[in-house]
Amino acid sequence: MYKRKFFFVLLALAVVLAVGLTACGGGKQASTGAGKTIVIGTTDKVTDLDPANAYDFHTWEIFHNTMDTLLHYKPGTTDLEPGLAESYDVSDDGKEYTFHLRQGLKFPDGTPFNAEAVKWSIDRVFKIQGDPNWLVTSFVDHVEVVDDYTVKFVLKDAVNYFPLLVATYPYAPVSPKCYPADQIASDSTCGGIGHYKIEKWTRDVEMDLVANPDWYGDPPKAGKVIVKYFADATTMRLALENGEIDIALKSLNPTDYADLEKNPDIQVIEGPGAQIRYIVFNSDMAPFDNKLVREAVAYAVDRQAIVDKAFQGTHEPLYSMVPMGMWSHIDAFPKRDLNKAKELLQEAGYSADKPLEIDLWWTPTHYGDTESDVASVVKAALEETGMIKVNLQSAEWATYTDQFGSMGMFLLGWYPDYMDPDNYTYPFAASDASDDIGSNYKSEQMDAYFKSEQTATDLRGAERQKVFEDIQKLWAVDVPTLPLTQGKLLVAARSNVTGIVLDPVMANHYFLFDKK
Amino acid sequence: MRSLGRYLLVRTLLTIPMIFVLVTLVFLILRVMPGDPVKSSIRPGAPQEYIDEIRHTLGLDKPLYVQYGEYLWDLLHFDLGTTLSPVRGQSVSEQIWEHFPATLELALAGILVTAVVGVGAGAYAAHHRRSVADYSLRLYAIIVYAIPVFWLGLMFQLIFGVWLRWFPIAGRISSLAVAPEHVTGLYTLDSLLTGNWVAFKDSVMHLILPAMTLGLYLSGVFVRLTRSNMLQILKMDFITAARARGIPERTVVYGHALKNALIPIITMMGLQFALLLAGAVLTESTFSWPGLGRFLVERITYRDFPSIQGAVVVFAVLVASVSLLVDVLYAWIDPRIRY
Repeated sequence: MYKRKFFFVLLALAVVLAVGLTACGGGKQASTGAGKTIVIGTTDKVTDLDPANAYDFHTWEIFHNTMDTLLHYKPGTTDLEPGLAESYDVSDDGKEYTFHLRQGLKFPDGTPFNAEAVKWSIDRVFKIQGDPNWLVTSFVDHVEVVDDYTVKFVLKDAVNYFPLLVATYPYAPVSPKCYPADQIASDSTCGGIGHYKIEKWTRDVEMDLVANPDWYGDPPKAGKVIVKYFADATTMRLALENGEIDIALKSLNPTDYADLEKNPDIQVIEGPGAQIRYIVFNSDMAPFDNKLVREAVAYAVDRQAIVDKAFQGTHEPLYSMVPMGMWSHIDAFPKRDLNKAKELLQEAGYSADKPLEIDLWWTPTHYGDTESDVASVVKAALEETGMIKVNLQSAEWATYTDQFGSMGMFLLGWYPDYMDPDNYTYPFAASDASDDIGSNYKSEQMDAYFKSEQTATDLRGAERQKVFEDIQKLWAVDVPTLPLTQGKLLVAARSNVTGIVLDPVMANHYFLFDKK
Repeated sequence: MRSLGRYLLVRTLLTIPMIFVLVTLVFLILRVMPGDPVKSSIRPGAPQEYIDEIRHTLGLDKPLYVQYGEYLWDLLHFDLGTTLSPVRGQSVSEQIWEHFPATLELALAGILVTAVVGVGAGAYAAHHRRSVADYSLRLYAIIVYAIPVFWLGLMFQLIFGVWLRWFPIAGRISSLAVAPEHVTGLYTLDSLLTGNWVAFKDSVMHLILPAMTLGLYLSGVFVRLTRSNMLQILKMDFITAARARGIPERTVVYGHALKNALIPIITMMGLQFALLLAGAVLTESTFSWPGLGRFLVERITYRDFPSIQGAVVVFAVLVASVSLLVDVLYAWIDPRIRY
């Protein structure tokens, strides 16, 4: 009797499932019609919703839409414009920045926005010492409240690009009543004062943003934005094709963009990116302690092949660590020249009979599926000299980062912290910073250039521009790192979506997304 | 019954040293493996002093035996610790309980599809031995088992999600549907219990493709297993006797023979269910299903030691519990079995 029951239960469950299969037909579209909801897909992840500790591209993009800073980048440009501060003054010695705040604003929890809140937020970064704290603590000595709506940042030393730092998220004012003063709040949905408020967040699944009724500027085009988190780029592509999402942000596979361009229901939008790929040489480790070897690799590497074969045209060849389109960029590195590479290798004591044997390290998941192709193309290009033998070595990211300093030649990528050439050069080639990235490059001349550019009076003046051009020229001679490619920004969206504005700052402006 | 109780007690007690050995191995292997949980979660090129400071805060600079002792002590108190990376300080237990219902729901639905399709088709093939249907089902069994599960999932997504647009292809519930109130964490069950029919329909729709992918993939084994067991049973004397008594053939095959062929099938199903709980990683990734398998793989890449250890402990307990349950089921299904 019991056995019979077992079968009936099994059968009943099967029927329920079968009914589900047949009765619940009908695909779901992302569009709701009224109220304009935009559904975004991404394969990125939110790591930490606390601006005092978050330090990754996607989380900063969420902040960009939910948490304004005193100054921010004007969409579509790399120019700063007033944000939560209406204006600012700089003292003559360049060590004091006084910001005049917008009045009458409040945080989503109702706490008023004022100079005390700004000071409290910066003091909190000092106390927490989170991952991006250096953007504040390396530069700011302390913050003073001048009056309710005036706040003064006193710097340790004059730094001409301080306004650019203020536009980064460790500087974002947060509500003193919503965040703990000395603890990281990784799952906090309090947000700051932004276009949107976080309505709901389920880690790695979904984040729902609703328009902030107290936002001081133009209201966002879509009243609600839903961000869906995908584990797999192919699934995200299929979700875009069947209308489950309206926009696929970072990142689809490079081949997907070419395919999707042929689909009349999908548009692929291309914009300038500021992410770069490069090779790091450990200047302390043989054979890369020999400048001739580094130079030879620079002449032998085939950037166009990397772009064509590995990135399917979604990157461009890059001949400087300062990305194209950024103020002061020059094409400092020479074009590919195998004969010159061979000459340099011969000068360094290598030949076809006695080839240079080197390990090229790469990491399989951190930079996506294309990375093995990048490594293979670099290997093929170097071996074309007939005088280099490359062994490809790979390690997972956790291992890879642990090996900085013990790898001689390895692939890395860079996203900007702030939109200034200093951010693309100083961390790799300054004597007091290069060992952290595993390059160990040291040059008195380069250090002098850095000091000069950091203390120049005019951030975008001719004097500073000349210094950066010199830095890039010296870079091509000493080759502490070797720039390879610069990524384009690519967004795929349903054809009825409008308002996608891409700029080198790279954070997507959800508040401009709209659909017909 | 008393002997069954003793058997269960002994089996449960044996689980403890098994888990102890497992956690010790996992603890040691993780520490021997290259890779640093701190460096993997912060920007490349962070100063060494900063890294050392975090490592000190997290207790990773203590001698290994001290870390091990502290870990065991916490484990004895059912404390799985806090995460190291990518976010520090979150409760591992909470993280696991957050992800487990999704995996359980998918595994249950998958095993249901397997049971219905695999066992049903296997019994049918045995009943119609050497017919076209038999050969077709045997071929199906081989093909479906040979297909990589993620590819099967992608094909289902393409056909039923993109071309036919019958089912959604990612997640557990639609962005625009309200998730059911939390009771068990199983969306389909919770929406039924709370009478949230919109959420029920939506969560069933989301469950179908991943469950079909997992279930059909595993059904191949069960087609073959059921068929071969059924063929043996159908040759036995009691089947001949049943037929001689004039019992309808359908009842003989699906009532008497199938029941008697169930023991090895249930054993295999128990094992497969345990594997599903622990190993539906590819399906979870393909369908962006926020389950425990995906969580574990992600945390391995971050070298988040406490999360990996915690997930392994949970999986070990689950596998032990399911195999224990299977043993009890034997006695229930076949009264001849004694412990």
